[in-house]
Amino acid sequence: MANFFPRTSNWLPIKLLVALICLGSTGALGVTYYATQKYTRVGYQPTQPVPFDHSLHAGQLGIDCRYCHFGVEQSSHSNVPTTQVCMTCHNQVKQNSEKLELVRESWDEGEAIEWVRIHKAPDYVYFNHAVHVNSGVSCVDCHGQIQEMEEVWHAESLSMGFCLECHRNPEKYIRPIEEVTNMEWSAGSTQEQCELGEELVEDWKINPPEHCAGCHR
Amino acid sequence: MKTIIEHPPVEKLANGGKAYWRSLADYSESNEFHQWLDREFPAGASEFWGDGVSRRNFLRLMGASMALAGFGMASCRRPEAAVVAFSKTPEWQIPGVRIPFATAMPRRDGAQPLLVQSFDGRPIKIEGNPLHPLGNGKSDTFAQSSLLDLYDPDRSSRFVKEGETATEADFISAFTGAAQGWKAERGAKLAILAEATPSPTTQRLIEDFKKQYPQAKWVTYEPAQSGNDAQAVEAAFGPDVRLRLESKKAEAILAFDSDFLGGSQSDLSVVRGFAKGRSVKKPTDAMNRLYVVEPAYSITGGMADHRAPLKAVDIPAAIAAFASEVAALTGNGSLSAMVSGLSKSALPGLDPQWLKESAKDLVSKKGNVAVLVGANYPVAVQALVLAINDALDAFKSVLVPVPWKSMSTATLSELTKMMDRGSVDSLVILGGNPCYNSPAGLNFSEALKKLKTLVHLSTHEDETSLCAHWHVPMAHYLESWGDAFDAAGRAISIQPLILPLFGGLSIDQVLSLMTGEVPDGVEGKEVDPYFKGPELVQATFAKEMSLTPDTYPFRTAWKKYVREGFDNEGKVKPASTAFNPGSLGSFVAKDRKVFTPSQADALEVVFRADSSMDDGRYNNNGWLMEMPDPITKLTWDNAVLMSPATAEKLELEEKLEEGIYKGQVITLSVNGNEITAPIHIVPGFAEGSLTLPLGYGRTVTGRVGEGAGFSAYQLMGSEGDYALAGVSVEPTADFYDFAITQEHWSMEGRGIVRQGPIEYYRKNDKFAHKQGLESHTPPNRSFYETPYETARKAIENGEPYDEAVYSSVHQWGMAIDLTTCTGCQACVVACQSENNIPIVGKDQVQKGREMHWMRLDRYFTATVENNGHKEDLSKFKVESKFNNGPDKLVVPNAPEMVTQPILCMQCENAPCETVCPVNATVHTNEGLNAMAYNRCIGTRYCANNCPYKVRRFNWFDYNQRQLDQLYISGRVKEQGWVETFKRPLGPKGTEELTKMSKNPNVTVRMRGVIEKCTFCVQRLEEAKINHKIKRENRTTGNIMVPTDSVQTACQQACPAEAITFGNLQDKNSKVVEVRERKHAYKLLDYLNTRPRVSYLAKLKNPNPAMPGADLVGMSLINATSHGDHGGHDDHGDHGKSHDHDDHSDAEDHGGHH
Repeated sequence: MANFFPRTSNWLPIKLLVALICLGSTGALGVTYYATQKYTRVGYQPTQPVPFDHSLHAGQLGIDCRYCHFGVEQSSHSNVPTTQVCMTCHNQVKQNSEKLELVRESWDEGEAIEWVRIHKAPDYVYFNHAVHVNSGVSCVDCHGQIQEMEEVWHAESLSMGFCLECHRNPEKYIRPIEEVTNMEWSAGSTQEQCELGEELVEDWKINPPEHCAGCHR
Repeated sequence: MKTIIEHPPVEKLANGGKAYWRSLADYSESNEFHQWLDREFPAGASEFWGDGVSRRNFLRLMGASMALAGFGMASCRRPEAAVVAFSKTPEWQIPGVRIPFATAMPRRDGAQPLLVQSFDGRPIKIEGNPLHPLGNGKSDTFAQSSLLDLYDPDRSSRFVKEGETATEADFISAFTGAAQGWKAERGAKLAILAEATPSPTTQRLIEDFKKQYPQAKWVTYEPAQSGNDAQAVEAAFGPDVRLRLESKKAEAILAFDSDFLGGSQSDLSVVRGFAKGRSVKKPTDAMNRLYVVEPAYSITGGMADHRAPLKAVDIPAAIAAFASEVAALTGNGSLSAMVSGLSKSALPGLDPQWLKESAKDLVSKKGNVAVLVGANYPVAVQALVLAINDALDAFKSVLVPVPWKSMSTATLSELTKMMDRGSVDSLVILGGNPCYNSPAGLNFSEALKKLKTLVHLSTHEDETSLCAHWHVPMAHYLESWGDAFDAAGRAISIQPLILPLFGGLSIDQVLSLMTGEVPDGVEGKEVDPYFKGPELVQATFAKEMSLTPDTYPFRTAWKKYVREGFDNEGKVKPASTAFNPGSLGSFVAKDRKVFTPSQADALEVVFRADSSMDDGRYNNNGWLMEMPDPITKLTWDNAVLMSPATAEKLELEEKLEEGIYKGQVITLSVNGNEITAPIHIVPGFAEGSLTLPLGYGRTVTGRVGEGAGFSAYQLMGSEGDYALAGVSVEPTADFYDFAITQEHWSMEGRGIVRQGPIEYYRKNDKFAHKQGLESHTPPNRSFYETPYETARKAIENGEPYDEAVYSSVHQWGMAIDLTTCTGCQACVVACQSENNIPIVGKDQVQKGREMHWMRLDRYFTATVENNGHKEDLSKFKVESKFNNGPDKLVVPNAPEMVTQPILCMQCENAPCETVCPVNATVHTNEGLNAMAYNRCIGTRYCANNCPYKVRRFNWFDYNQRQLDQLYISGRVKEQGWVETFKRPLGPKGTEELTKMSKNPNVTVRMRGVIEKCTFCVQRLEEAKINHKIKRENRTTGNIMVPTDSVQTACQQACPAEAITFGNLQDKNSKVVEVRERKHAYKLLDYLNTRPRVSYLAKLKNPNPAMPGADLVGMSLINATSHGDHGGHDDHGDHGKSHDHDDHSDAEDHGGHH
């Protein structure tokens, strides 16, 4: 019987196999890269040069966020405190603590402490802290329960979908301005939050931008 | 359904030429021009390089190399980054909040008051100081781009002793040591050469210096400011005075080659005042009038109601003729006496009627007029002009004497002679670059070689530094303490925003080393910080204010002085001097021959400070280098500029090939000096006059200025030459490639620029609506309400809260007044600075790839009379070299000029948005045509569909390039494949220093992305946020930003205040009023794009008695209403509708259709 198939077709199963493997591994790689939490950095928790404990300072001691992050109400950027801010207390409290070695060194030498960055919006996103905290968006909404974290981790995805969720339905999130830095505050049930939120949205004429130029320019 | 817009034919003149044209090629409709018109880029612009390797081939190559490189994912995740907070909290500083500081840019004719924005310690944007009465928040191109000079990686960064790097301490000990020696000789063989830097502290130190070194010479040299005017003013008003133009009080101005609206004037109140007197709100408003006689086209000439081109060597004769008219009309005795001895021979090239009628007009407005002449004309001419002004009562309120001190005790030529003789053997040069910018005739560089000591303080290691024994880096004004006089003689403070990046010194610091005002502790070791603080300036301030330093009143006054930038209560003492014509006559009598007209066919060269390089000091500034010249639109070069008639007569040629202008190279010689330079043909220049812009052809400069243009100083005979007669021209066979943008981004469509004389407007106030195609179409009406109209009604009616409605409380709009726009380009550079726009290099400009978001389209226009009017033959003489169109097309030799700023129109009905396949460009609910760069994939469909051609494509990573690795010589075949291949892929990475100038609030775009104007959306967002974060606004639901509290960068810079911008929902906003003026029109309105930018038609105010007055501003009106419609079949119908156009006066035109 004559050969129906040309000789080259002998390679076909192998070629198909290779193609399938390539496709499969590309797919797997894609899913691993894009579809896991790591892509949005949720859970990212690097070790900081100084073991600063938010659960102690913000939680137990109840220091207001703005004591250290003092620029947050005026600036696009919520500043990481300077060594001088640390030293306002620590020149009295825990003067000789080993954990504060680097802070004292920085204060004496005038060299900056290199904190490891956890939250970062991409370069093409122009996020502004001031307008959010002045519109009743709490620190908790993006950064999670910082007052319970010994070492801070990345709690929310901070992806565009995450932003739009609130920009489209601000009433689900906003709260009275005086409660913005109150990490424990809650309006009560979802129903109660929405009622309060709707009232605030109307009173304050909250109109979060949903167009590109709101954040990208 | 696809709509095909049928564009109407172009309005034509009776002779077949266009009514408005950008270039000779446009005028004659050459094929080359159509390339620029029909395509976004000329053919081949998207080719990689010129020799046949296409982009597609390149991609194939790239694909192969990519496959080889493989792909890994290990390093794909975001790398670990650090947050670095300060150790000690700096005062006032919150990271991310910009702080404005008041300071000033010292300039030769007075400082420009500025407000500089500092972001996290870096100055990033220069703006005018809005508190200062002269500046009023405005700034010019030079001030805007001086930011880039601060971050110039080619700046001088070291002390140099005889070619070897030295330290600051070395210099200070050597210099103070030498000063001891000079002091012992009472400064006998010492001279100081400086630029004009009018400053209280510098002057105080100079006075002190002169006391300590009584025999030393102080020489001030400014090539573009000879001091001839000052000499005449001194004779008439006494010492330490100069005249300031109060342009807002002038009803008419006659300028003889005086570019008082352009040039490097620091006093922007002149432009603003002039614009105020010109801007028209309603038909009954008065308008000032401007007459200009000049050899070369200038910005001032473009604004003129009557402009006559005249050779510079004939201008004194014209002034003399004008003076005798004025003397006859006013009967002023001293003026009559002055002109009596002057030659009365006829002046070729200027109609005597022109001077007679303008004199009549000026005399009739006596007291509110001024006559101006270029500052470099001889003293005799200056003296005569002063006498004319006296006869016209100009010194009453229009030309005001203000205090002004000149420190100079010798001229540059005297200094050169002294150095030659050996009577000066030590020279300290404080700023300036005389080895480059001294006239070749002086042989200054040769004389320098005889010196024993030469110390040179300058911002760059330049031509002069090479000859110097000591080179000292000079601190930028943003790095040093200082003060300066503004143009009215008021003191302004200069404060540093950053420590000297390269440890430079200021002029005051070097001077203080000589006068010994530096406290002890120098001694070659530690330099006392006292020496670098504000103490020198404080000492002057204390003296001026009669306060004791370190007291409470002093500290209060000083703080206010520095914070506000000037001393408001300060004493601008009106010079208590009266005009005394006595000695002026002798100046005129001494130099009568200057008033004799030249031979009609004699050639001359005219020297001009360049619009970008000035006298050469801004040579390494990329923004200025790539800024198109306001008149010629030439970038990266200068050229010998001449009119078509001159070129014709000299049989010189300029070619346009593949979209590139190629000027014939000529050899020019005068008095034994010779230069070789290419020519460029521009209409409107005087016949026989060749203009040479200064400032190019530097031999030792940075990477931007290297190889750009030729040095016109090589032709100058002596100091202060403004023009030279007796030039000979030798053509060569070579041609030189220019990068000229005049045809780039040409728009298809009609009636783009519209202008008319004011009398026409008074009769027919809506004339601007009826030019171009809009004279044929009814106004656009929409079936739908725009969201913003809905929002406005809802807000007005107090309807319940709706988020969509309140997102529309801001509707941004703009209006640009073409009547007051001078075309100075301040907006273009301001936009570049604000929006991180890169420079692209000469080669890329040639391909039409310049990135400026905002451009100034310059049109020439002239009328050919027909329909029974007399043919004005004097205006039309020359056959076009480019002629592909009608036979025997003649080019008008004195066309009018109109400039039109074009930026994104933010169309409500934007054609670009509908074609983007990835929704990267979408409309915001504030009426902006937004551009999300991170989404753009670079299909360029949007640019293709934009009728205004305002979208720019990043062909390469322009923002990633080093200064000497801009994309150059891609077309040079001889360099071979590898070399040309390498260029675009060459080394990457911008200098860290250049990065510091970027605005952190705007994305730095990468390659493959379309970018465009967004009405400075970063400023709009900032303004809204700053309004919202005020708690009282937030909790009361007040979300509309205060009226006119936000400005775009272009608007903020515009010295003429031609640009208004604001919220259209806010009825109090000025922009609403301006857009509703009767002569407002929208660009290409017939396309129904509904632009958010409106233009006010350019109005002219011709004097009906002047020759040719009936032609001024009439070209498009004549062309549309009477002209040949170039092949319209239904000609009869159009004729009818035109008649109707002309005679329907106040009625709403749209109703008739």
